[in-house]
Amino acid sequence: MFEVYLKELRELLRDRKTLIFVVALPVAIFPILFGLMGFLMSQATLDAEQKVHVYAVANESYAQSFADELFYHKSFKKSEKTYNTVEEMSEAVKAGEIDVGIVLPSDARETLDNEQQSEWKVVFNDSQSISFIFKRINDAALKFSKELQSERFTALGVTKEAQVALLNPIKVVKVDTADKRENIGEKLGALIPYLLIPLVLAGASYPAIDLGAGEKERGTLETLLLTPVTRTELVLGKFLTVLTTSLATAAITVVSMGLWISVVGNFIALEKISDALGTMGVFDLALILLLLIPLAAIFSSLVLAISIYARTFKEAQNYMGPLSMLAFMPLVVAMMPNMELTFKTAVIPVTNVALAIKEIIKGTVDYAMVGMIFAATVVVAGVLMGYCVYWFKKESVLFR
Amino acid sequence: MIEVVALKKKFKLTKDHKIKNEEHKDPRESDGYFHSVRDVSFRCERGEVLGLLGPNGAGKTTTLRMLSTALQPDAGSININGVDVVSDPLLARKKIGFLSGSTGLYGRLTAKENIEYFARLHGMDKREIKLRCDELFELLDMHSFLNKRAEHLSTGMKQKTNIARAVVHQPEVVVLDEPTTGLDIMTTQTVIEFIQGLKQQGTPVIFSTHHLDEVDLLCERVSVIDKGISCFDGSLNEFREVGQSDTLNQAFLNILQETQNV
Repeated sequence: MFEVYLKELRELLRDRKTLIFVVALPVAIFPILFGLMGFLMSQATLDAEQKVHVYAVANESYAQSFADELFYHKSFKKSEKTYNTVEEMSEAVKAGEIDVGIVLPSDARETLDNEQQSEWKVVFNDSQSISFIFKRINDAALKFSKELQSERFTALGVTKEAQVALLNPIKVVKVDTADKRENIGEKLGALIPYLLIPLVLAGASYPAIDLGAGEKERGTLETLLLTPVTRTELVLGKFLTVLTTSLATAAITVVSMGLWISVVGNFIALEKISDALGTMGVFDLALILLLLIPLAAIFSSLVLAISIYARTFKEAQNYMGPLSMLAFMPLVVAMMPNMELTFKTAVIPVTNVALAIKEIIKGTVDYAMVGMIFAATVVVAGVLMGYCVYWFKKESVLFR
Repeated sequence: MIEVVALKKKFKLTKDHKIKNEEHKDPRESDGYFHSVRDVSFRCERGEVLGLLGPNGAGKTTTLRMLSTALQPDAGSININGVDVVSDPLLARKKIGFLSGSTGLYGRLTAKENIEYFARLHGMDKREIKLRCDELFELLDMHSFLNKRAEHLSTGMKQKTNIARAVVHQPEVVVLDEPTTGLDIMTTQTVIEFIQGLKQQGTPVIFSTHHLDEVDLLCERVSVIDKGISCFDGSLNEFREVGQSDTLNQAFLNILQETQNV
């Protein structure tokens, strides 16, 4: 059995394709992609932030201090032309003459005197996802609005302090019992299994295809079957190889992620995350890895069984697509907000491991539950492995 | 010595197969099964070479796969030097060396590693492996490409490696399934010389082929299978006699014709 295992490993290590998937992808390619994505995102945000908008206000005199606020605002530049109606401004925005136009229909002070609200119209193109135009105008309008409020209250003889109380008689203050780790863990904890578990599957499937269908296609499987090694030993040797690469992929990813985070942490302030995760001990990390082992065994048996069944490399790859969909569904379930580890969710395979990893990262894990999940996953893995061995002994599977 | 008596093997038919073949049914199909091999018997003594002949789809490969223990026979016996190997496939695998035209090598291992791997799977220890491999490398003149990866070898080199792999454990019987199909003349010659070498050592060889000139060159005995049933088993001379022709091709056709008339 170990002869088979060692030989398969040696052969895999010489295969550039597998190495790319198992090592290069998590170590270099993913971080570079994520880094690039982050860079572009922050660049876009920065651009939007630094952009100076050309604006026009109709009937400036109705709200002079608002107009002044915009005039002196570093992000706004007044248009040289004037526009009077919403239609004119729409045309101008479409033509690119101005970025934003504001129509003041009446004198805000007079309207308020009549105990009515003024309705200002802000004309701009709202199709950009990162845009600060509306927020900035709204802020300026709010400032003016407060000014009017304050004038009114003062006229009514209400003191400044009373004004605050009158406007917001009740102030609700959050006292959060969740510590930092729990808070970040809830957000990050859902993401990490989402990243880890598909990697475990991917790390298993590429070598598995090679070890089953690949051998069939090359005609080496038949010679292997003719050696005085029992078929159980052959499958177990192959199974161990697949399990090893699967876990290696996960481990390499975790380690490289840790390294990259610490590298990036030197440039960008990630204290919040590193503080929160810093409280995660070696024990927790080991626990995550321990939970991944039976899960990797489940995936390994599945992909190996499929690969043995398939006649060719191509056929095996065709089956992998639906399988990864199957693996993703329970993951998506675990990603849903407010999903928690209960006795109900603990019986759904994959989902339970994903949730348990999340809880471990949050630091709110129930160790008895983890033990149960571990045991359940081991049982499922054992059954599937048994099935894989049975499968490998069937002539109708081997010689299709 | 190897003796095969009344081998049988059937395969379950798939649904597609049933529908497709409703009109022209193969006589071997019945009650959902395809009786690929119905009654095959032959024997091969020490130092003899047996040629297994038959049209495509006659059941040759299935028969040889049963001999090599890849498939389990439904009935019949296979006896190697007095030991029944149907009941103990692991023992049989130690006694049999198998090579076919389509068996491959592990492309990312070198020729040497390929051979050594199979030697280890056969339970040989380091010293044995070294001795046996040196012997084989010398015999097959393989030294020039031992450390090249199998994927970079020429067809001839690959077939030499395959041969070495098949006999590394010094089998008592060698089974070859169309070992020369698709090979060039040079490589075919390597295979033929290898079979002659085995013959000199006294190892019985069974091989299936469509090239009757090879049979003429190598074989003492001939066995013909048609539609899963042995229809001739005897010496080369008997083959010519029964087939009523001196040319083997004609004799073969006559024998097949005769069985169909019966």
